[in-house]
Amino acid sequence: MDSPATPSIGSTSPADAAAAQADLTPFTLDTRGEFSFPENHKYDAGYGLTEQTIDYICDAKGEPDWVRRFRKDALKKFREMPMPTHWAPESIRGVDFDKIRYYLAHGTPPRQSWDEVPDDVKRTFERLGVPEQERAFLAGVDAQYDSETAYNNMQEELRKKGVIFVNSTEGLRDYEHIFRPWFGKVIPVGDNKFSALNHAAFSGGSFIYVPKGVKLAQPLQAYFRINSESMGQFERTLIIADEGAELMYMEGCTAPKYDSATLHSGVVELVALKGAKIQYVTVQNWATNVYNLVIQRGLAMEDAEIRWIDCNLGSGLTMKYPAVVLQGRRARGEVVSISLAHSGQDQDTGARMIHAAPETTSNIIAKSISIGEGRASYRGEVKVLKGMKGCRNNTECDALLINATSRTDTYPAITVNGNASAVQHEASVSQVDEEQLFYMQQRGLTRAQAMSLAVNGFINDLVQEFPMEYSVELRRLIDLEMEDSIG
Amino acid sequence: MDTPAFNDADELSGKLRLALEQAEAEARLREAETPDRLNEDWRFGRPHIYAKALVSALESDTDNAGRITIQAPAACVEPMADDMRDGEMRLRSIGSDKILALHLKRFGKGICLCIDTVLADPIIITYETEGVFTPSTIILAAEGAAARIIERHIVRGSGLLVATRDIKAMAGADISLELEVSGESTSGSDQPRAMNITNIAAMDAQVRQLTRYSGLDWAREETVAEILHENTTIELFSANRLHGTQILDQHTRQIHSWGKSTSNLLYKNVVDGSATATFAGNIYVAPGAHETDAYQANRNMLLSEDATINSLPGLEILADKVRCSHGSASAPMDEEQLFYLLSRGIPRHDAQMLVADGFLADAVTQFRGSESDGNNTKI
Repeated sequence: MDSPATPSIGSTSPADAAAAQADLTPFTLDTRGEFSFPENHKYDAGYGLTEQTIDYICDAKGEPDWVRRFRKDALKKFREMPMPTHWAPESIRGVDFDKIRYYLAHGTPPRQSWDEVPDDVKRTFERLGVPEQERAFLAGVDAQYDSETAYNNMQEELRKKGVIFVNSTEGLRDYEHIFRPWFGKVIPVGDNKFSALNHAAFSGGSFIYVPKGVKLAQPLQAYFRINSESMGQFERTLIIADEGAELMYMEGCTAPKYDSATLHSGVVELVALKGAKIQYVTVQNWATNVYNLVIQRGLAMEDAEIRWIDCNLGSGLTMKYPAVVLQGRRARGEVVSISLAHSGQDQDTGARMIHAAPETTSNIIAKSISIGEGRASYRGEVKVLKGMKGCRNNTECDALLINATSRTDTYPAITVNGNASAVQHEASVSQVDEEQLFYMQQRGLTRAQAMSLAVNGFINDLVQEFPMEYSVELRRLIDLEMEDSIG
Repeated sequence: MDTPAFNDADELSGKLRLALEQAEAEARLREAETPDRLNEDWRFGRPHIYAKALVSALESDTDNAGRITIQAPAACVEPMADDMRDGEMRLRSIGSDKILALHLKRFGKGICLCIDTVLADPIIITYETEGVFTPSTIILAAEGAAARIIERHIVRGSGLLVATRDIKAMAGADISLELEVSGESTSGSDQPRAMNITNIAAMDAQVRQLTRYSGLDWAREETVAEILHENTTIELFSANRLHGTQILDQHTRQIHSWGKSTSNLLYKNVVDGSATATFAGNIYVAPGAHETDAYQANRNMLLSEDATINSLPGLEILADKVRCSHGSASAPMDEEQLFYLLSRGIPRHDAQMLVADGFLADAVTQFRGSESDGNNTKI
């Protein structure tokens, strides 16, 4: 690769950092992952996670004492808990907690120019149709946005409606009475090792509260929250929709996100109170040297609805199983998931639905595409608890294999208690039909074009669930991936 | 002049390979640990109760007490020989290597069938016990052989019957196996338990299996079916009714090591009382096993509020041009069917029995249908 930018992390020498990175990553790196810029952070907690690291984070963020104690308790739990090696994909063994930096903030904007960005990256941005401003931002060239006023106006409008949209630090500091009662309640500290890790080291992410009956017409986006930390390594998001409130939240971007950090372990908690609706849209496209281990769980009360719309394109290993705990009568949960695994990628995604109240319904639709030596897995859990009547679940998993070396797995786990609920699961694996390809090719399309048309057809109904700009970018991205693998 | 031990280099390497394989198998079993909660293949299986009890029963009891009766042409039955231990050593379990190791230690009882013709009459094997019994069944079907085998296990009182089964079917063979495991309690405190580990290896052959469990306090089934050559068909069926506090824990693997073959699975359970049925299946299509057709379906009917179903159908596909699917459905009994029967004057309980039987009959009918298809072409 002819990357003009030397990979470098923080204050360590470029060579050391490159070596550390090489040790950490058992993935077959694709060239995009090696692309990063020299950084200079005002706050850097260094490598490894200790009590001192936590003190450093708390001091830097000016956090109250209860948060400090909370973090330290979580650290204890994190050390005690085992890695989930008995069921998780093999590559999770590559995570080395001592070689990770746990807090970085307030970096001086990297002084790089657009000319220095590698050509293939520029090509990706251009083909995706990412606006020039955002292109530069995403490439780490220039963190300045001209559109701050627009976002300010939007913030003002939200404030008038009583919506709170802040980062996790501000949320716990300024709105403790709202966020503390729900903080760590949906996903407790001891849920699993990575939940404990996030509780100990969280920074970044959004805290959102939508008051009773307020229905937001515009989706909230992580970018809109200005003057705050960007999506961090250990992002922490808590969204509370009060009775009858409605909102859509979007995070991520379809353009590849470059980051020197190799472990991303986020926690996202959603609380939908009576009759509320939350839609959470994620498009994940980390570079392929990243472990992306995210815990997402929502709590749906009576008549509430939670929808996770999830798209995983990047990272070396993703383990993400959005969950809905259906806690109130007639609550509804839905997961719509698309994942694309290229050579060197392991997309271990899925969904969890816990029916903890009567007459709750849930729906899971997952589609995956494996290209080259990529591995896409669906891992899911559906549970109908004892005494719950009239619960319904429908799960559909479809996998598409592009090459002879691609791999796909499906591991659902279904538990039904009692004779008053119905659960069904179906999965299928297929290939792109040679006859379809032949037909398109004899009409003048190249094989890559025909293939991407077929793949787009496969996920077409799910892509429509995404907001417009995302679905357009998604399609273009798939064209691009197909060209690279077939053309 | 010294005579070399092996004249042929191929033979030498073959023997070395065998010895190596054997050493590996030995080490695997020697190092095996009692299944615990971190053993994914015992998920939902309550290993801390059942695996522990099983292991301690197999370790403490040395009698291996049980009766064997067989109804088969004399030419087919071979006495159990010590060199058959080798085959048992290579058996694969689904998370229960420790139990296999203990079974191997007690090796010596069971039946070995070598079938080399087309047999018109079924072979009937019966294993009975009140104590702890660990028989092995070995079925070797030579090229073009065809047979129906019925294996009945009867566990009385608080007996425990752990059986292994090694089925090898060569080109053109057609083997049907019906396994009926039943428990007979004489008092309320009796806890008849049973476990079966079956390995099927088929090369250009047809093998089908139907398992039925009844009256057992606890039963576990591990079936590993491997396709080793093209043009093979393996079909697995099971139909069971559980009630009271019965537990049935079924695990299957359909391994496609070779392409252009078919496997099919249908496991059906009707669960009543506070019984629990667990099904965990997996279809594995090895790299290069192209043009595979593999299906897996688990259907459950729940009859009571306290009944529990765990269903874990799985797919692992590493090949291309594959048609694979799995499905799992769990639901209560269809009220309309019940209503129809009730309106004809059939009491509720009987009507439920009829609907449940009809639901299960599907798997048995498919097994019989496929059985007669296979045998018709043979005979």
